Amino acid sequence: MHRILVVDDAATVRMYHRKILSDAGWHIDEALNGVEALECVQAQEGDGAFDLYVVDVNMPRMDGYAFVRELRRLDARHQAPVVMVSTEAQRQDAEAALDAGANCYLVKPAQPRSLVLSAALLLGDRKAARAASQGLKP
Amino acid sequence: MGLKKQANVSVLHPVVEREYDRDLPGLIAQLADPDAAVRRWAARDLAAQPRAAAVLGARLPGEADPGVRSAIFSSLARLGGAGAVTAVIPLLRSEDPALRNGAIEVLSGLPDAVAPHIDALLQDVDSDVRIFTVNLLGDLRHAGVMAWLERVLMHDAAVNVVGAALEVLAEVGTVDSLPALRAVARRFADDAFIAFAVDIAIERIGAP
Amino acid sequence: MRTSTLAVKASPPVAITDADFRKFAEFFYRKTGIHFDESKRYFVDKRLVERIESTGAESFRAWFVALRFETDGAELQHLVNIMTVNETYFFREAYQFDCLVNHMLDEVAARKRPGSRIRIWSIPSSTGEEPYSIAIYLLERWAKIDQYDVEILSSDIDTSVLKAAHRGIYSQRSVGNLPAPYLKKYFTPHGDNEWRISRDLVDSVEFSRVNLSEPADTRRFRDIDVIFCRNLLIYFDDLSRRVAAEAMFDSMSPGGFICLGHSESMSRMSSLYTVRRFPDAMVYQKPLEA
Repeated sequence: MHRILVVDDAATVRMYHRKILSDAGWHIDEALNGVEALECVQAQEGDGAFDLYVVDVNMPRMDGYAFVRELRRLDARHQAPVVMVSTEAQRQDAEAALDAGANCYLVKPAQPRSLVLSAALLLGDRKAARAASQGLKP
Repeated sequence: MGLKKQANVSVLHPVVEREYDRDLPGLIAQLADPDAAVRRWAARDLAAQPRAAAVLGARLPGEADPGVRSAIFSSLARLGGAGAVTAVIPLLRSEDPALRNGAIEVLSGLPDAVAPHIDALLQDVDSDVRIFTVNLLGDLRHAGVMAWLERVLMHDAAVNVVGAALEVLAEVGTVDSLPALRAVARRFADDAFIAFAVDIAIERIGAP
Repeated sequence: MRTSTLAVKASPPVAITDADFRKFAEFFYRKTGIHFDESKRYFVDKRLVERIESTGAESFRAWFVALRFETDGAELQHLVNIMTVNETYFFREAYQFDCLVNHMLDEVAARKRPGSRIRIWSIPSSTGEEPYSIAIYLLERWAKIDQYDVEILSSDIDTSVLKAAHRGIYSQRSVGNLPAPYLKKYFTPHGDNEWRISRDLVDSVEFSRVNLSEPADTRRFRDIDVIFCRNLLIYFDDLSRRVAAEAMFDSMSPGGFICLGHSESMSRMSSLYTVRRFPDAMVYQKPLEA
């Protein structure tokens, strides 16, 4: 089963993303800022690693951009796609996310279908992608 | 070699009184010293100087060293009062997340001093400033928190500001908050996240 | 004559609902980094009820509001105390000592000339189990112990525990985790059921009284290569924690390491350190000079 790490300082947002993504069939772990997320990533034993990261931009201690830059310096088994989620809707913010090493960028609050579709496409999960694009899941 | 046995002389470093001036003008000068260690000690010692808040706050945007920044924020938190509050409020607008978050941390420890500023901050034209202010309310120990949050629910037009307020209300809300919660659910009837956040808040409030 | 018994209506025992538990768990995680999930329900509920009753609050809700809005953080400190397990004993959380002798010290030593000094600071010393555990580990399990001068410094704010650490007498429970050969080698039986640690080990630790919030105390510590500060900072309030983390940072050599308790995270306290993941443990490091 695919494993996703959801990183956001707001508990409600983590719960919201958790609900959407676990309804789509994936296993979810959470962290509340970039540093704890890095600790969580590095604590994954042996072959275990995350398949996708869903990361908020504005977090205390270490923001989303800094987390992704640090993530991209870790070894190969941690290099999974990143969906960046932010309140900012400007193009330069999407560019900043891609420059830091994210794969795609969604504006908050994420529409459930967009979040699932983005995740499914990045995970290569065709079943979930089909279901999301047909609107069968939330 | 091996484990060093205690000698008569302590291994602890003796405290040598520093040669620099430790008075206010001296410390302010050291806050701009090229050596980060000197700046860090100056920042730390300025915690004992009641009039230092403005100077400490002014130093932050230009200070790149994380150790010095950290010491400045700690000193501002220790100084407290209206001076520390006015010194850090401008940082809520900073592009630098470390400065914004440092400011929120200082402000969250000074509930009575920051309270007079909350209304203005919650009406700032910049929705980011409003979000950071709501985040601040999440850590603020002040009896006005609920009323401020309810105002946001009733009047703020920005969905992410309202989302932030719902997050905090889930923790501090009471049954008196329910009308405001139902009103905001109606106001953002098309938004799945707001609906979800309202449900969580109602569940946490433990309404029958 | 009829006797009547007064029916004394006992107040109903406080109940913790699922929503209460989730609200508490989110708040506690946000404040301390400690996660409680459903499996810890019994453990948590019991202690919550204890706190609610001893503060005289009528309900979880009333108690939680007081907790959330208290100005001095005292109830949160009480809560942290009862929600965490506080025992000390030899070789507690030994995986960090493994990390010390398997990885951290080798990195530290690689930056020094043979024969030079390595400093390890254990705080709080409590009654000495931690610094003495470190000493035993160094003597028994660090291959390079004979090539360097290792100083063990250990501090506590409480002079009575420092006295006990000097005395060096321990219960059966305290030494229970030690391999039998080490017990035999470094301790002698004392009285009925206790053990006395060797004087050589006592002499190898420099004890001091230190208040981590007091710059006059912490300024005396310099060039520290490894700090063990386990299950202490979690009991501090936010500001004291920052001050302590900064003081320890200042005391360390560049590249020095610090180990916290297994449920503690430096990321909550200070952004000055970087995370280092070793096979045995995750620790924090003061950056090497740029």
